[in-house]
Amino acid sequence: MYRYPRWPIHLALVGVSLLMLIPFYWVLKTSVTGENIFAYPPSILPKSPHPFYYVDVWYYIPFARYFLNSVVVSAIAVIANVVFNAMAGYALTRDFPAKPFVLLLFLSCMMVPFQATIIPAYLITGRLGLLDSYWGLALPQFSTIVCIFVFKASFDAVPRSLIDAARIDGLSEWRIIWRVMMPLAKGAIATNVILAFIWSWNNFLWPLIVTRSADMQTLPLGLARFLSYQEDTTGALYAFCIMVLAPGILLFLLAQNEFIRGLTSGATKG
Amino acid sequence: MSADEVELPLWRRLVINRFVLVPATIAVAIALWNGYVATHDHGIVVGRVVDAAGLPVPDAAVVLWVLNFTTYVEKTRATTDSAGRFVITNNDSHNIRLAAEKPGVGRSARVPVRLYFRAQDIELNEPLILSGAS
Repeated sequence: MYRYPRWPIHLALVGVSLLMLIPFYWVLKTSVTGENIFAYPPSILPKSPHPFYYVDVWYYIPFARYFLNSVVVSAIAVIANVVFNAMAGYALTRDFPAKPFVLLLFLSCMMVPFQATIIPAYLITGRLGLLDSYWGLALPQFSTIVCIFVFKASFDAVPRSLIDAARIDGLSEWRIIWRVMMPLAKGAIATNVILAFIWSWNNFLWPLIVTRSADMQTLPLGLARFLSYQEDTTGALYAFCIMVLAPGILLFLLAQNEFIRGLTSGATKG
Repeated sequence: MSADEVELPLWRRLVINRFVLVPATIAVAIALWNGYVATHDHGIVVGRVVDAAGLPVPDAAVVLWVLNFTTYVEKTRATTDSAGRFVITNNDSHNIRLAAEKPGVGRSARVPVRLYFRAQDIELNEPLILSGAS
């Protein structure tokens, strides 16, 4: 039972939500009208909408190939993230010598931008013979520190007695992770999947450097290529943006409950 | 035991959830669309040519332009029959323009035609209207 009416809060939240959705709406509207974004006065509702800019994007560049490349690279990155981050997150819940130092090292590494490590990353990928390949595209995104801490926070919330019981039952550390911890960390898994997918999906700089053939390019590179091809691009460009954004938005909408739970797990104790 | 506590069989939990149903629906829609495209991509463009009075124009030359990167180039020509109908059978583009001409009757405006996929079979709703003969 509420002591005060809830509708003013809901009304304000709906208003703010609509405000946040305006840029998305504008991109969507422009993608079906081709209207110049600097047109004045701007039209709120689309005039004579049509889907042909999407058709243009599909045929002007090898969209299907870029899409496939992005899907494969993102899938590799997501699977690797879940596996490696879960292992690292579990390790950080255990007690071992110099654990505070390792935590500090992880946190300090978060402050180093990827651009600063891109040359060694390129050299390592080259030595491994993975340049211009799916594995090479996904390699630097195999693990992210933020997601390791998401798993750590989720695993910290699991009662210690449960792990002890599993150990008494004879489970190895490896099986404790996969049989005991992971089923209890669905929120953390969803968070990892969404973040790894979106980061990999939107990545531009690394694919730009590591790919050599046009067949290995991903969607963000395709967008740059598309811009360099076309002059009058307003409608097609926005259609391309929608086509690139759609999978990430769909994934987020599918897993948003688990995503929020994963981000907030371990935030409160007791 | 309440209804909420009844545990569903494993296969139902694995299959009947939004992570499977949504991608499956999208996959079905894509398959249906590809099926439609595969059965309607013969590159056939059908239309009519009429004069300013709305009467069919036989033996008019119809020209098809296709978008080649940034400019339209002539792809093929056809001639109308006695009923003013024309059939073009080798369009392989999704972005075309059509125009008709007949000496003594006039020429039509270049009509842009946008298609949903390459080589889509289409019958024009509006005829090409010849006018402006000198």
